[in-house]
Amino acid sequence: MSIELKKALYNISALADLGQEITSENNFQEKIQSVFYVITGTFLANRGAILAYDKKTARLGVLTQKGFSPADLARIQPEELRMFSKNEPFLLAGTSLPAVAGAELLVPLWVRNEFIGALLLGGKLTVDPYTPEDIELLNVIAHQIAIALNNHTLFVDLSDKLEENRRLYEEMRHIYHGTLQAFAAAIDAKDAYTKNHSHRVAKYSAAIARELGWNEHDIEGMYVAGYLHDVGKLAISNDLLNKVTPFTPDERAELRKHSTLSHNITEKIKFPWKNVEDMVWHHHERLDGRGYPEALARESLSDGVRILTLADSFDAMTSQRPYRQKMDVASAITELKKCLDSQFDNRILLAFCRVLDKEIKGELPEPDILPHLESISDLSVISVLLQAIIAELSPPENSPA
Amino acid sequence: MKAVKFSVVSRLEGNTAVIYPKGYLNNLSGESLVVECGNYIGSGITNIVVNFSETDLINSIGISMLLQIIENLKNIHGTICFTNMSKFLRETFEMLGLINHMTVFPLESDALQYLKAGNL
Repeated sequence: MSIELKKALYNISALADLGQEITSENNFQEKIQSVFYVITGTFLANRGAILAYDKKTARLGVLTQKGFSPADLARIQPEELRMFSKNEPFLLAGTSLPAVAGAELLVPLWVRNEFIGALLLGGKLTVDPYTPEDIELLNVIAHQIAIALNNHTLFVDLSDKLEENRRLYEEMRHIYHGTLQAFAAAIDAKDAYTKNHSHRVAKYSAAIARELGWNEHDIEGMYVAGYLHDVGKLAISNDLLNKVTPFTPDERAELRKHSTLSHNITEKIKFPWKNVEDMVWHHHERLDGRGYPEALARESLSDGVRILTLADSFDAMTSQRPYRQKMDVASAITELKKCLDSQFDNRILLAFCRVLDKEIKGELPEPDILPHLESISDLSVISVLLQAIIAELSPPENSPA
Repeated sequence: MKAVKFSVVSRLEGNTAVIYPKGYLNNLSGESLVVECGNYIGSGITNIVVNFSETDLINSIGISMLLQIIENLKNIHGTICFTNMSKFLRETFEMLGLINHMTVFPLESDALQYLKAGNL
């Protein structure tokens, strides 16, 4: 085999190496380093550099280099390189470009009309001059490197935009939650006895949903429904909400309008979560169909409604009201259990008991229910009660949950 | 041919480091060869023998690594010898003209004898 043929095969092999490195799963810096080795190894160049154009600073940055002085490389101005042909290698000697000690060849890298960077090569170890074949091969290599650099820039730009969108979305979520909390505070401020009720119901509901294995998006929807379930109370008179004596039938009917009012207000909001307006509308329904406002029963009540109903009732029972004393936690839990089937769902009470039991045992990093329960004198008594209910309501092993 | 993962072992023979690259010298893992030589140079060794008995193939990336080692030795006025080359390696170095810048011996013992004589 002639030396020319061997050299041609070596060059083809170098192009294959280049393609393999550019398309490899290595990270960008590793790719660039490998590509740089392919180039210096192909031409036996004793010096070399790959420079990338940064559009923001309008400067060339060094991606990798060997043998050049950083100060010399910093003198290469992108504007001066734009005058030369795209991806065409040229000898530096005789040009007006600033001298870079040891540099012989320069290739401005372009993709279509976009200036991408530059490739710089020193002389060969063999001291042979670059041949026309070398220049031709370098031109092909330059095209490939330019595309690889451009793809990386596009990828980084996209990643930056994605990150910015994520940040904006998080900010919006933050504002959204802040607005919801302001609404909840406005609702709770109307009734001195229900201070922070919406906040607690939101927390309890989300904790139950999480225990049931809901995904984070749906848990967030449950949390929002908890916050807004009483928003309709904004339209109920303060006198009625804060009335100390028992309600008359008319007053009770007026008060009961709040869940429909909550629905009317929330249905106008385009929530990113499903069924928020349904949950707030029906949070006073009962499994036996004796609730309000629509007297829906069992199959008509979603899990979200069932969770909200239980969380709302539990917080109502364990909170002081103008017309009655608050219940202790054990009594409230016993009351919830007493109302299973008629009012509350077995699965939901089971999940509630499980999550509260875990919180008491310190098994959850951020408890949602326990911090809101005032003065539980004996947690072990509550835990025994919870475990008894859990044992009773848990489906037998080997049977579907 | 199944590619062997590239690795490097070495030993000191008097004041000469003998390096044994193993596998296909074709990617970034070949940098370990440059690092190994660099470590010996850093510790004051100026004679290095690279025994290619377990490296049959090399590509442009591997050539670039060898260039680096040759230049590093040149910079400290050291000597690097290459031994036990396969026919493919030798022909590649000849085709590139690199052979003229290498001190090549058929066997490691020949290189060690040469370096020993040179140091007398």
